[in-house]
Amino acid sequence: MARMKFICDAERCIECNSCVVACKQEHNIPWGVNRRRVVTLNDGVPGERSISAACMHCSDAPCMAVCPVDCFYKTADGVVLHDKDLCIGCGYCFYACPFGAPQFPQDGAFGLRGKMDKCTFCAGGPEPDGSEAEFQKYGRNRLAEGKLPACAEMCSTKALLGGDGDVLADIYRQRAMARGKGSEVWGWATAYGRPEGKPSAPRPQDKPGPKAPANGNGGKS
Amino acid sequence: MRNSSILSAAAVWVATLSLAGAAVAQTPALNPEDAQRARAQQQRQRTQPGNDAPVWRDVRYGEPKVSAVRGRETDVLIQSEGQTWRAARVPMATTGGFVFALALLGILGFYLWRGPIELTEPPTGRRIERFTRAQRIMHWTLAIAFTTLGVTGLIITFGKNVLLPVFGYSVFSVVAMAAKILHNFVGPVFVVLLPIMIVMFLKSNLFKSYDWPWIKRFGGMMDRTGRSEVPSGKANAGQKILFWLMLVAVGITAAITGLILDFPNFDQTRQTMQIANGIHMVAGIGGVILLAFHIYLGTVGMRGAYDAMRHGYVDESWAKQHHRIWYEDVMSGKASHGDRPVKVVEPGRGAA
Repeated sequence: MARMKFICDAERCIECNSCVVACKQEHNIPWGVNRRRVVTLNDGVPGERSISAACMHCSDAPCMAVCPVDCFYKTADGVVLHDKDLCIGCGYCFYACPFGAPQFPQDGAFGLRGKMDKCTFCAGGPEPDGSEAEFQKYGRNRLAEGKLPACAEMCSTKALLGGDGDVLADIYRQRAMARGKGSEVWGWATAYGRPEGKPSAPRPQDKPGPKAPANGNGGKS
Repeated sequence: MRNSSILSAAAVWVATLSLAGAAVAQTPALNPEDAQRARAQQQRQRTQPGNDAPVWRDVRYGEPKVSAVRGRETDVLIQSEGQTWRAARVPMATTGGFVFALALLGILGFYLWRGPIELTEPPTGRRIERFTRAQRIMHWTLAIAFTTLGVTGLIITFGKNVLLPVFGYSVFSVVAMAAKILHNFVGPVFVVLLPIMIVMFLKSNLFKSYDWPWIKRFGGMMDRTGRSEVPSGKANAGQKILFWLMLVAVGITAAITGLILDFPNFDQTRQTMQIANGIHMVAGIGGVILLAFHIYLGTVGMRGAYDAMRHGYVDESWAKQHHRIWYEDVMSGKASHGDRPVKVVEPGRGAA
């Protein structure tokens, strides 16, 4: 099984924000929530670098550790997902996440935040793969369709890559060797620097869903 | 003529101010340290174009950079404090949970060993007004709020380890959601009630010289015969310590940190909320432990204590045994409830 990871090549990112737009478009994300964002360092001065950041699907995810209802789970691909039906909107994952990935549709008085929303690595949620319920809550399940995350697929300079961590590391190594610089891999030590957590056991409420056909069309043929 | 020159001078002044304001608003607020780091990075780019190390070190400072995505702290790439918070919170909660469980076991052990504190003299039937109606209403309102906050706080903090394995995910999520909503709405009610309660009970909880012997001998509570109780005023030293710890220290701390956490709409940063959350948890665990002691001694732990707060009256023997100095003040007419003397109901009369 592949271990899914994101990598962002700061030597290539041109801060075009298409990953942000691709994500919003793909998943029909509500106003005010951005699962992905681009941050620019040294803006406007020599040495400017941009990074596209979202949930990194950490090995030992802090959100998972602090969630009071244990609504997070890790798939066999190493993707960290959460169950919005269980989420109580307490905000602990938002405090703990180093990458600022967990988002809330609102920040109301009396702690009324709504259900947490974050990057799913385009892998949906606990609902049956490709179902309407899954789309409404988590967006498209591209992984089940045999596709990679929309943000990485959209990236015009191929700065943002998403997929099997070993493959990504090989690509990145070749790039760094060829250009002779920029070998720093942003966020990997933070996200993947600790021992890998085990994939969660299947939840009782997880029902085996209809497997999406391999035509890459979300079962809508 | 004169007027118009004043007017034009004023107009020029206003224009200058607004231009300067706009310029200041558009200049990135750089402190000297940041500027120094940026210059060093630029220098490094010229001498070692392939070395990005300073840039990546900079990421770890967690300072705001630039992002087109609007929102709270979207321009911070990595906030390391989150990992610190997690690393501190998990062991703190575990320790706190065991301390709370130990406190409950301690109370149970004390009950089994000591039993309830009984009256040593038979009741005389003469009843003394201990708390006014206003004090009792206040006490019970705050008691309900405090207990609700305590129980819901425990569910949010320890439910994952204690209730979730029993209830399962779906049911526990509903319980936790209810706990969170109750906690967040009763919290502000508690914040309003707390100062009233503190003011109302402040006078009887100021320390007096006769409290010291009580503290040194723990009020004689360890004597199972109950015959060596140290004389005390309306509140004994233990109750006074409870007042200052539970209402003043824990109450005010939890109120302030709770408000920070309960109203995320004021754009406070994650770090503010992490710190508030840590303090809130410690205060909360301290609060429920004190609450457990208070409930124990106010109900099964001491005969007659519950009736004092339930009906407002205590028997003469009870007052003499547990609050000797207050009893003597009542009998000599020195004790009062605000501007009126303490009511004493003779045997055979109905309660006031």
